[in-house]
Amino acid sequence: MMRSPLLSFFAFLFAALCVSAVSTTGNRVLAILDDVAEKAIYSKFLGDLEGRGFQLTFETPKSESLALFKLGERVYDHVIFFPTKTKGLGPNLTPNILVQFLNANGNILQTLSSGVSTPNSLVSFLSEVGIELPVDRTGLVVDHFSYDTSSAADSHDVLLLPPPAPIRSDIKNLFSAGAAKDQVLAFPRGVGAVLGSSENLTPILRAPRTAYSYNPKEQSEVVDDLFAAGQQLSLVSAFQALNSARLVLLGSAELLQDKWFDADVTKPDGTTHKTFNREFAKRLSAWAFQELGVLRVNWIEHRLNEVGGSNETNPGIYRIKNDVKYTISLSEYAYDKWSAFSVPKNDVLQLEFSMLSPFHRLPLKFDESHSSPEASAYSVSFKLPDQHGIFNFKVNYKRPLLSNMEEKNTVSVRHMAHDEWPRSFVISGAWPWIAGIGATVTGWIAFCALWMYSAPPADYKKESKKTQ
Amino acid sequence: MRFSQSIAPALLFLSGVAQAASSWGFDEGRISVVAKKGGAGVKEKINARTPLSTPVSLGSTDTLKIALTAKDNGQGKRPHQAFLVLKEQDSGLEAPYPLTVKESGQAVVSISHKDLPVQLLHASKPLKASVVIGSFGSAKGLNAPVFDVKLETDPNVPLPAYEKPLRYGKKDEIHHIFKADPKSPPKVISLFFAAAVLATVPVLFVSWVFLGANINHLSKAIGAAPLSHVTFFGSIVAMEFVFFLYYTSWNLFQTLPVIGAVGLVTVLSGTKALGEVQSRRLAGER
Repeated sequence: MMRSPLLSFFAFLFAALCVSAVSTTGNRVLAILDDVAEKAIYSKFLGDLEGRGFQLTFETPKSESLALFKLGERVYDHVIFFPTKTKGLGPNLTPNILVQFLNANGNILQTLSSGVSTPNSLVSFLSEVGIELPVDRTGLVVDHFSYDTSSAADSHDVLLLPPPAPIRSDIKNLFSAGAAKDQVLAFPRGVGAVLGSSENLTPILRAPRTAYSYNPKEQSEVVDDLFAAGQQLSLVSAFQALNSARLVLLGSAELLQDKWFDADVTKPDGTTHKTFNREFAKRLSAWAFQELGVLRVNWIEHRLNEVGGSNETNPGIYRIKNDVKYTISLSEYAYDKWSAFSVPKNDVLQLEFSMLSPFHRLPLKFDESHSSPEASAYSVSFKLPDQHGIFNFKVNYKRPLLSNMEEKNTVSVRHMAHDEWPRSFVISGAWPWIAGIGATVTGWIAFCALWMYSAPPADYKKESKKTQ
Repeated sequence: MRFSQSIAPALLFLSGVAQAASSWGFDEGRISVVAKKGGAGVKEKINARTPLSTPVSLGSTDTLKIALTAKDNGQGKRPHQAFLVLKEQDSGLEAPYPLTVKESGQAVVSISHKDLPVQLLHASKPLKASVVIGSFGSAKGLNAPVFDVKLETDPNVPLPAYEKPLRYGKKDEIHHIFKADPKSPPKVISLFFAAAVLATVPVLFVSWVFLGANINHLSKAIGAAPLSHVTFFGSIVAMEFVFFLYYTSWNLFQTLPVIGAVGLVTVLSGTKALGEVQSRRLAGER
């Protein structure tokens, strides 16, 4: 038992590591505020973040020491932008640097507020990823049909929404699962955005059908020129780059403030509800900072699936029309642990077997025998196409709100060797030809015997003598 | 106009009775479809309680005009929000059209095909039009379906192309279509022709016998050069046996050396055996 103190020391180290490494990409968070003292109004939200193991650094845009990169490396893993009154954000936070930050797998949570016009730098950055803000860099979303009567009886700018359900039936319910039925999300004094048609953009929270955005300074009397209304207006939007770096645009910074966490709000019909804001803020920041919806490929295995065939794992070469089995093991991260990933209900994990274009695109089925609580395996058995060449086993699983996964395993597929075809005697059409060979062989041997051993017939002898 | 003015008080009274709390509504709702070339278009009255039962047709060059008077509890008033919302039934996609509202609450908007987003132009079912009126304060908003619009497209003018944007999601399954396996003719036919081919062997033998073929010199030849004749004839049979083994199990590299060896035996024994055959010919025995 000499090893046990050492072991326990390592176990302790490991545990320490686990506690600190909350996100799959890192725990250094930079929060940018107009005034560092402002963080007091977000204390619950920031406290929740720290409770999950993030290390927060607070800076103002004016700060000299502010830099996202140092010697070409990211200094922070995640950035939160709270609304800032300055028009620009200075040379340290140009749109170009923010794009570089995303390219370097950094994540950004950006918040807007209708009272504060959005800095130029962030507007340009958002248009870079296809998110459009109201022209005058400020707007206010109101809904005269669903608002909080206790805090915005007249202005109708505190929207009450049900916790956001997924926008499509095949998307995992990350944000509203487990919410109590009567809980509502309060969205106070927010800005709505319009999303471009990019496939990397996902609206997490859309405005209700009757909501619209207007400019309180110029359109206080009447809305003549509409920026966007109804479901076209995205209140919380997500952008996930191809490298799975995430950007979340939260239209209302006030949603994160302490006063809206577990607050009581009243709908126009007089019913009082608790707000879902605290849980939503937790899930939203967890998604943005790679704690939710992160997939990992544990292993991939393909092998021949034929009786008496080779049992080699991941061979480099197959033959056309071989039966093969492909298995992939996946895990999904949630806050602090990896668990088995289950494909959402109406979605399928698909395997493509492709050379330039897919020859097969087949659904992968859950394979219980290779799964565990930490990892789930999906497999499919199929016959390789009758075309030789260099093929890829390809799993291209890109879905909204899940990290991108593109796995490619290249194999050669050779054609049939000459001795792998069925023998000619089992092909009935070949029987006359085989019989022909037999007849020729018999005839040849008989002819040789005759030629060497045949005596001339008696009458022939006489005739030949006559001629001589 | 005169008619609507005359029923306005009645409507006012009705709405006042129906909704005691302060709420938004409208009356004097009219829609008209105006063709570009003039001519009398469709004119209908609309109200918030019962939507029109028949859809309104809107041709590609027509203009749909909606006019109404927004009222807060029966009083003409300008609401902050007065939209006509067109909804595509299949996708639920909505396009809002703000009405131009005067202080008195009189509001108007005209819509033609060019104002519609391309997705709505491709709609297969009539579009659902509803009026949304709401404003700040405690008055309850109005969101009422009022009529359906059926878009008449001109077959001579192609619709603007609409390509669905790429969305991540499952794709259609693909199953490779294999080439058909080679087929054989019916076995009876193969057997018949195989038998026909094999039948040539007895035919050949019988015709040889008929022509006087024999092996009467066998004992003579064996007597003259026993070893050479046995090995020579044996090597010819052995060569055929090697070919048979090549067909059944051997590969080329097993076959070639054996062919070489058998061939050598054939050549060596053949010179003597065939020399003996020649000597018989020279002796006039053949």
